Amino acid sequence: MIRNKSMKRASLASAVIAAGALVLSTLPAQAATPGVSATEIKLGISSPLTGSAGVAYGKVPGAMKAYFNYINANGGVNGRKITLISRDDKYLPTLAATQTTNLILKDNVFALVGALGTATHSKAYKAAALAKNNVPDLFVNTGFSGFGDTTKYPTTFTVLPSYAMEAKIMSKFIKEKFTGQAVALIAQDDEFGIDGVNGFKAGALTLASTTLYPQSSLTDARAKALLTGLSAIPGKPVLVMFGTTDVTAGILKAAESLDLVSKFTWIAGSVGGDANTLLALGVKATTLNGVVAASFFPDAKDKSDEYVSQFMTINEKYNKGVTFDNVVLQGMNSAMLTVQALRAAGKNLTRAGLISAIESKGAKFAGAGLVPLNYSATSRIGYNGYWFGQLNASGELKPYGGTLAIFTTDSGAGAIEASTYKRPTMPKNGIPTNS
Amino acid sequence: MIKTTPTKKRLLLFIFFGWILLILGDRVGDLELYQGSFVATYALAITSIILLTGYSGQLSLGHSALMAVGAYTGALSIFNAGLHPVIGLIISVFVAGIFGLILGLVVARLSGPYLAGTTLALAISLPTLANQFPILGGEEGIVFDVGVASARFGDEFSQYKWFFWISALAALIMVWLVANLLSVRYGRTFKAMRDNPVAAQLSGINVGQLKVMAFALSSGVAGLSGGLLVMLISGVSPSAFPLSLSFAVLTGAVVTGLYNLKGVILGGLVLVAIPEIADSLVSRIGGSEGFTTTLPGFLVSALLILAVVFTPNGPGHLLKRHHHKKKV
Amino acid sequence: MTQFITAVLTSLSSGAIYALMALALVLVWRSTRVINFAQAGQAVLTTYIGYTVIQRTGSYWLALLVAVVSGAIIGAVIDRFFMRPIFKRIKSGPIVMIAPVVATLGLLGIIQAVIGFIWGLTNQSIQAPVSTDGFKVMGTVIAFSRYNLLVLIFVAVAMLLLTILFQKTDIGLALRASAYSPEIAKLSGIKVDSVRTLGWAIAGASGGLAGMLYIPGYFLFPNAMDLLLVFGFVAAVIGGLESLFGAVVGAMILGFAINFATTYISAKLFFPTAFIVLVAVLLLKPGGLFGSKKGRSA
Repeated sequence: MIRNKSMKRASLASAVIAAGALVLSTLPAQAATPGVSATEIKLGISSPLTGSAGVAYGKVPGAMKAYFNYINANGGVNGRKITLISRDDKYLPTLAATQTTNLILKDNVFALVGALGTATHSKAYKAAALAKNNVPDLFVNTGFSGFGDTTKYPTTFTVLPSYAMEAKIMSKFIKEKFTGQAVALIAQDDEFGIDGVNGFKAGALTLASTTLYPQSSLTDARAKALLTGLSAIPGKPVLVMFGTTDVTAGILKAAESLDLVSKFTWIAGSVGGDANTLLALGVKATTLNGVVAASFFPDAKDKSDEYVSQFMTINEKYNKGVTFDNVVLQGMNSAMLTVQALRAAGKNLTRAGLISAIESKGAKFAGAGLVPLNYSATSRIGYNGYWFGQLNASGELKPYGGTLAIFTTDSGAGAIEASTYKRPTMPKNGIPTNS
Repeated sequence: MIKTTPTKKRLLLFIFFGWILLILGDRVGDLELYQGSFVATYALAITSIILLTGYSGQLSLGHSALMAVGAYTGALSIFNAGLHPVIGLIISVFVAGIFGLILGLVVARLSGPYLAGTTLALAISLPTLANQFPILGGEEGIVFDVGVASARFGDEFSQYKWFFWISALAALIMVWLVANLLSVRYGRTFKAMRDNPVAAQLSGINVGQLKVMAFALSSGVAGLSGGLLVMLISGVSPSAFPLSLSFAVLTGAVVTGLYNLKGVILGGLVLVAIPEIADSLVSRIGGSEGFTTTLPGFLVSALLILAVVFTPNGPGHLLKRHHHKKKV
Repeated sequence: MTQFITAVLTSLSSGAIYALMALALVLVWRSTRVINFAQAGQAVLTTYIGYTVIQRTGSYWLALLVAVVSGAIIGAVIDRFFMRPIFKRIKSGPIVMIAPVVATLGLLGIIQAVIGFIWGLTNQSIQAPVSTDGFKVMGTVIAFSRYNLLVLIFVAVAMLLLTILFQKTDIGLALRASAYSPEIAKLSGIKVDSVRTLGWAIAGASGGLAGMLYIPGYFLFPNAMDLLLVFGFVAAVIGGLESLFGAVVGAMILGFAINFATTYISAKLFFPTAFIVLVAVLLLKPGGLFGSKKGRSA
């Protein structure tokens, strides 16, 4: 029993010491509005930086920081500099919950921006009590339509169009442009693919074949087996790839190996159609030539686009060594929307003020997106449409058929409409001056 | 005069410890309470490893799967069946225990790396199955909501304090039960089986049956830990139970010392504190984006390795060795 | 019919890939009774080194050589300065099983962090040394390329050479003796510690080979071989962990099972198949297909 007692004492002592250490590591500063001082606005982001997901999306916080630093160098927002605190959640729900809680309780951020992932952020939102503390949760980077639900996520604003919207609009596009061709779908077996499948159903597109694969299971061998099966479909089937870019690359490389590139009409979803990445992953330029891709942004290679060229300049100076691609474009664009939101909320910054500023003025914010932003008192959805382009051999995405055609819709049963939307011209030097 | 049997003494110790936690809970902030809840949760998971590996000599790399079973069971009974959270957590224990019993029956003949391989394969396949049943809610998963604390605790009583109370109490009760079980009934038999299975068999111990039982018990404890884990992240998803969780728990068990049930809180503490320490070190050092991104992973791994290299039997073992002399 | 032929061919090529990793794991297991989870990190690290060589010189074959050699060095260093001190402190009980697992996992984390720091956290690709276009047989392109054939040949040759090394040479005898019965080996004058380090070096070299052969059919990033490690381990266990031939057979069984199940039943069975096959094999033979009796429980 002596043994037991002293053991117990040892563990108790260590527990007390460690708890004490944890206490010391945090000294919460109680201000009127958390994260806002006369000179600084603290924002937070929890997203994957390392691990497999980090490889694909790790550039988001860096791109946002680069844009914020550019704004800071040009006077900040109402005299306040923006600091973005980035925490790595490795795309794991538990880490997302603890990291987001840390952002709120330890780092005392004013608002969250650019959180990424469905399973991760849906947990983090509740665990960090964002609703209870009325913490604005801006520009969440996922196409999961559930985040638009204001009863579950009262402070959340999404930015990407939903997967369901994409699938609906794609259905219409395929039915019009590729009449008579059979359609096969290869999609990731989680909410991403399942939202997509439901969208194709809502778009009344008949699928000759649907393959749902678990994440990271589509190896080279699997892709070849899959394509062999699909090549039995007579004629020239349309093959829709609703997955991440590495999977699109794997499928296209398998098609090269099997000499099946010309057998299919290839369509890549917006998540998996980044040409820069596809080329870097070893897909031949000749294969890429003619692949159809959905997007709501301008082509990240299009230097004639005023937003893209401005963001490229900022990237060169403030994000050294990082190649500019769709992910960087997305990060910078969200940062630009954030700056406008902060400006719109006025000098007397409050959390409630920020939310209502986006509700009332968000639809007019300047951004790179070619489709409308949909924020209003009743809608927390950002972009709500798509256009279709075709990649050429140098990986540039050119509007399908030569002219840009934008379609908008919702995630439910709403109609798909052609849109004549013209985005606002870029503020001078990419520095917003709105109020 | 109360006669102090070891069992009674242990009960008093646990009550005393609970009382300390109660006081501590009032003195610290929300963040510490939240971290404390994770410590309790991981301590339970480590307990389950110690039961299985330390006491019965079986190696599992699939505890994340067992935790997932408990977590989904708990979430379904609370969210879908509308049961009280406490009942939900108790059901988690039993369903995970039954799952472990079945698994134990299947793998009872396997040893060492064969068992490790099987449990590893289970850990990677079970989450992908969870996606196949709409009732399990896909990636967004099922909400696991224990509700807010009763109003009689007052307005100051935060969600995190409630989490802390539930997880600390659950951990205390469970560890107490396990400690009793081991000291009163199975401890010696388990150890005999672990140290010399042949001799144990000869002295009339049914080794096969005992191993299966250890699996079931360990699984039940893991189930509770899984239930608590998803309470803390307020919902369950397949991706909440990655292979890395299995490995983390295993690491905690090594840091604790595999034969040392009393040190589990230390193991839990290490699992929670090391990433925090790494993060704060990195933010203090600063540096380029690439550096600050990769450094925490490096530090966490390095600290864990140091722990294993220098005290592979856990810090408790050093003390234990010291007292062995006195005892003998 | 085409579907069936493709299933067979892709099973062969993915089986060969699993075998690459399974071989490296079996080598470490045989020589030190450790499941080396750091193998995924070691192999990716050597592949990054090979990638750098390709960037500088343009030669894949030189890169392969460098990767294999550096793999051997890294393997030896890990054993000498890392595993050996740990084993000095632990002698018996379940901790002997579990501490190396945790230690090698920690090492995996360190290696991946270092890679991320040096080469960055983006996808890279390595061009295959030979054509990846499928062979043309009677006018149809089949799902098997020169590159797939190359991998298969390398696996067969590696297995043969290593088996000869283990069974027919003095080094092999020393390796086997130190693993099965270190005490007796020591008494008969074998430098057990050095021989174990040699075992790690050979495994590291074979991991280096695995990475350079696997990555051209996939992409290169710090976690690129995590999943392959899991499947390689499952394959090695199916084969009984002791035998190099068993590792290759186990890998082929796994490759065929997964590809046939996903082709003919559902793509969703990718991961569960691994579990089902493993349990089925171990229920029949608890020590794996080619395991020694020692591997079984009492």
